[in-house]
Amino acid sequence: MLRAELRKILPYRTVWVILGLYVLLLAGFVSVGGSVTVNGQQFGNTLYSFPELWSRLAYMASYFNLLLGIVLIILITDEFQFRTFRQQVIDGRSVAGLVQGKLAVSGLLAGFGVVGVLAVGLFFGLTRSPETIGRAPETIGAVLLYGIQALGYLSVAGLVGFLLRKGGPAFLGFFLYAWVVEPLLRLTTPDEIDRYFPVKIFDSLTPTPGQELLSTLTGPSTALLPTQAAPLAVFYIGLCWLLSYLLLRSRDL
Amino acid sequence: MSILQLDNLSKRYGSTVALRGLSLQVEPGSVYGLLGPNGSGKTTTLGLALGVLRADGGMIRWFGQPMSSQSKRRVGALLETPNFFPYLSARQNLLLAADVKQADPKTVDAALDLAGLTARQKDPFRSFSLGMKQRLALASTLLGTPDVLVLDEPTNGLDPQGIAEVRELIQRLAAQGKTIIIASHLLDEIEKVCTHVAVLQRGELRAAGPVSSILASSDRVVLRVEPELGPSLLHALGQLPWVRDVRPETGGGHSAELTPGHSPAELNRALFASGVVLAGLEVRQRSLEAQFLELTK
Repeated sequence: MLRAELRKILPYRTVWVILGLYVLLLAGFVSVGGSVTVNGQQFGNTLYSFPELWSRLAYMASYFNLLLGIVLIILITDEFQFRTFRQQVIDGRSVAGLVQGKLAVSGLLAGFGVVGVLAVGLFFGLTRSPETIGRAPETIGAVLLYGIQALGYLSVAGLVGFLLRKGGPAFLGFFLYAWVVEPLLRLTTPDEIDRYFPVKIFDSLTPTPGQELLSTLTGPSTALLPTQAAPLAVFYIGLCWLLSYLLLRSRDL
Repeated sequence: MSILQLDNLSKRYGSTVALRGLSLQVEPGSVYGLLGPNGSGKTTTLGLALGVLRADGGMIRWFGQPMSSQSKRRVGALLETPNFFPYLSARQNLLLAADVKQADPKTVDAALDLAGLTARQKDPFRSFSLGMKQRLALASTLLGTPDVLVLDEPTNGLDPQGIAEVRELIQRLAAQGKTIIIASHLLDEIEKVCTHVAVLQRGELRAAGPVSSILASSDRVVLRVEPELGPSLLHALGQLPWVRDVRPETGGGHSAELTPGHSPAELNRALFASGVVLAGLEVRQRSLEAQFLELTK
């Protein structure tokens, strides 16, 4: 199954362009981050010091989940457009197999994101703050949590792709849900409830760096801790893929 | 055991009934044609049989068993259009299809050769003409050497030479014992390659059986007499209860249909006994087209 998915992805230039963009944008933002001045002080090379670097990078990378989601949406909606889902079912693949294939692709994309964050982190950590490299393993868990977050955003993107079946509406639906609709819903929902919303749960996995400091100014955050959010994120990921399967099974191809 | 058995199959698209209680059986080794005008339910029937459409009612059995991934891998099918990834080459598309079918990737070379696309195997699918796409799709159906081929409008987009090649291929595969199911609105195509035919009209089965029996059931007998015997001929034919649908023929004479079990020789004898001596008797086999138009009136 994975081999068949790789046969579709590896020669697909669009996918590589977007993934290249993901790494370049992440590296670019990290690169310019050191020159940002706050309260008259430049971050400088302290931005790249371990062990804090991983959580900072994971937080920054969370903004680029949109790109990973777009790749998955392209790969899913292409199959509807080219009628290749239909042909694969004719050729003997089950509907569950089709969804599992895309689940495997989402795993590969999340893995790419994790590797990208690790590579960018190691590059900047080693070149700008080599003296702290010994402390790198202390917070590497933040990158794994970022991987779960990426899987979460991808599961939402996958569901929207299976639901809308066309690229344009699916990109819009994914973007609107994750960055507009749910945040707006959260504004009108009590904090005790909105922290369990799917995107909020995914976002809780990569908290804002310096959250403790912010909390002293704005009051304590109601968001769950990353370790509390992780099992719920896994639950939402499973739910999204189950819904994708049920959706595909209930429709004509 | 039937290769394919459809029992009381129904399908609706919203308020439109696409298929109404269709029952069919395809026997091993037959070349089975699904014939009907556009919108008659041919592609819907195949879509249901291949598991890409969900039936509202009825049962589908392949090889005597409910449909499964295993049964599907014994069937090579082309439904409506060639479905490939446009950015992948012909070879990459066939390798992918071989993976899904769990077929030996080594068979891809033979498939490309069969499609006449060996020289262009590295070109992306999107650069192919309609005929080349159709040939690639046909080649893909043969990956994994399936027992059954299901072809929906297989000669679509092909030039006359391509059409003749596909017909020859179908006949060759049928001679190897493969069962072939073809949907087409091209009567000529069905008549030339099929052993059995089912005629669909507005989602209903109008007729089904061996092509020869459907043709034979509607043979017409053309009768010619000397001009002065014309009224006697009509009178004599009116006396025979197994003669129906008497019509004048252009250029003189009359034609009629015989009910099953009666032969033109019997008619000749009966007319002679009534004092009508025929100047000519000709059995005109109706074309499938005439029969098709009759059935789908």
